[in-house]
Amino acid sequence: MISCRNLTRRYGDFTAVDGLNLEVDAGGICVFLGPNGAGKSTTVKMLTGLLAPSSGSVEVCGLDAAANPLGLKRLIGVLPEDLGLFDDLTVEEHLLLTGAVYGLDRQETHRRTSQLLHALSLEHGRHTFAVSCSHGMRKKTSFAMALLPNPRVLFLDEPFEAVDPVTSRIMRDLLQTVARRGVTVFLTSHILSVAEEIATQVVMIRKGKIVWNSPAGELPQSLEAHYFDLVESPVVEDLEWLGSPRS
Amino acid sequence: MARLAAILKALWRAFQRGEKSFGSLAGNNFFLVAVLFLGKAGTFLFLIMGLVILFPLSTDPLRKIPASRLALWPLERREQWALRAMSPWVNPMTWVIAALALWAARGSVTVGLWGLAAGLFAAGFVISELRLPSGPAMWRRVPHFPGPLDQLVRKNLREMLSTLDFYCALLLSASAGIYRFAGPAMPREAFMAMTVLVVVALSSYAQCLFGLDGAGGWSRYRLLPLRGWQILAAKDAAFLLVTAVLVAPLAPLAGMGAALVALAMGRRPAVEDPRPQTRWRFSAGASPIYGVVEVMAMASAASAIFFTSALIAIPCLGAWLGSLWWYGRRMEARE
Repeated sequence: MISCRNLTRRYGDFTAVDGLNLEVDAGGICVFLGPNGAGKSTTVKMLTGLLAPSSGSVEVCGLDAAANPLGLKRLIGVLPEDLGLFDDLTVEEHLLLTGAVYGLDRQETHRRTSQLLHALSLEHGRHTFAVSCSHGMRKKTSFAMALLPNPRVLFLDEPFEAVDPVTSRIMRDLLQTVARRGVTVFLTSHILSVAEEIATQVVMIRKGKIVWNSPAGELPQSLEAHYFDLVESPVVEDLEWLGSPRS
Repeated sequence: MARLAAILKALWRAFQRGEKSFGSLAGNNFFLVAVLFLGKAGTFLFLIMGLVILFPLSTDPLRKIPASRLALWPLERREQWALRAMSPWVNPMTWVIAALALWAARGSVTVGLWGLAAGLFAAGFVISELRLPSGPAMWRRVPHFPGPLDQLVRKNLREMLSTLDFYCALLLSASAGIYRFAGPAMPREAFMAMTVLVVVALSSYAQCLFGLDGAGGWSRYRLLPLRGWQILAAKDAAFLLVTAVLVAPLAPLAGMGAALVALAMGRRPAVEDPRPQTRWRFSAGASPIYGVVEVMAMASAASAIFFTSALIAIPCLGAWLGSLWWYGRRMEARE
């Protein structure tokens, strides 16, 4: 469902993503892990057609992302890094806009909007302008926008950060449900416990290169331990002035 | 005192980096036109000029510090008072107003003029302290439009209504409209001139149509399965709707022709070099030279439609359609 070959993105001399090869099957939940600045968001942008690769190719749902960006956009749902919300639209208006531009009829758009607002506990804030929403509400709005057109592939950039535990649970259940129905999910996250719970495929990236790619069941140890071994280990420094009497 | 000095230093740095009001004036078409006519200006134009210049420049520098951060800092009460008293001096306009006061005391400037300047400055300062909402409840009542772009057009209307360009144009349109219906008879050419002035007041916004969408807005545009021209058309619909309402009591066809030219000419900076804008400020368009050329083209189009033939509106429409098609493609190619 998602396929990339030698995907590379350079910014001047800096290579953000370096020769990435990846296959994700239909109905899979691929968790893409890596430290800040490793190239995760750049990869998501290239997979969703937001950023042109310097070299290599991307195919999603059998469509070349570079050659047919409009066709691709109609088939995917995206929760982008910056959430992609307009300050001057309310939560509900964002969903109505999504339904209209994806060609859903008015009645169906309203039905799905109501269901999503209810499922994500956004009903109380449906008339709130995005600029006045909390970060969690903004994230849930963007997540709902990704789901509303019923896409065949979902790309989610750090969906679980800044959302409350109940919503996080609901989002995980929704993702697992849609994956069982054949939707492919590609997500980045820093919350390893959540990633471990839902992943069917784990990919780790460091300095733009893939350092691990396997089905989740083939991890040799816990995801956290494996991540620390392969990607980066926490180094705890003793800051001797912390907690000492003030001078 | 060291704490206070450190905060003021940071404030100065933040204010210098963030203050774009001077730049905004340099790129605002109405400001350029007002400067051109300054020599023959009456009180009304001076008042408008005062609003144009002093409102954007009268921001409270202390707003650069988030209120929650300010409340968390271990400042004593007297330090908080000192910060409140000293922070306005970070804004250079405070020094200008103080210098005007000194000159007024010496008789070089009339006290009335100084009072007007100080009043306008203080009003802007107080308004910037009020933290104006960016989504007032009445904006929920923006009407709906047919078609899939309904919500985009509504959003664009709300954005446009949160710039001072619109209120400046509204003031001009309302004044001229009231004069037309209640005042002594005026030659019809005067209303054409006022029409051009109204569209000029709005025209800088045509150069920065995406300025209030933010980075999130840009990425959403790129994710939506819409063609570039559709996104531009939603922007233009809001602009043309506002213009149509404001020029209706004056010279409507000439005004709409000028608005189409403004959109066509403003397209390049709007798409190729989108400049972030600040709400409740005048729009900062492209360079002054670009603005002068745009104003001349708009005035020529409006005059030709008004004095020669309404058919001149057809090439204006053609230019607008051409820009929609060309820059729609450019938008799709943009990263």
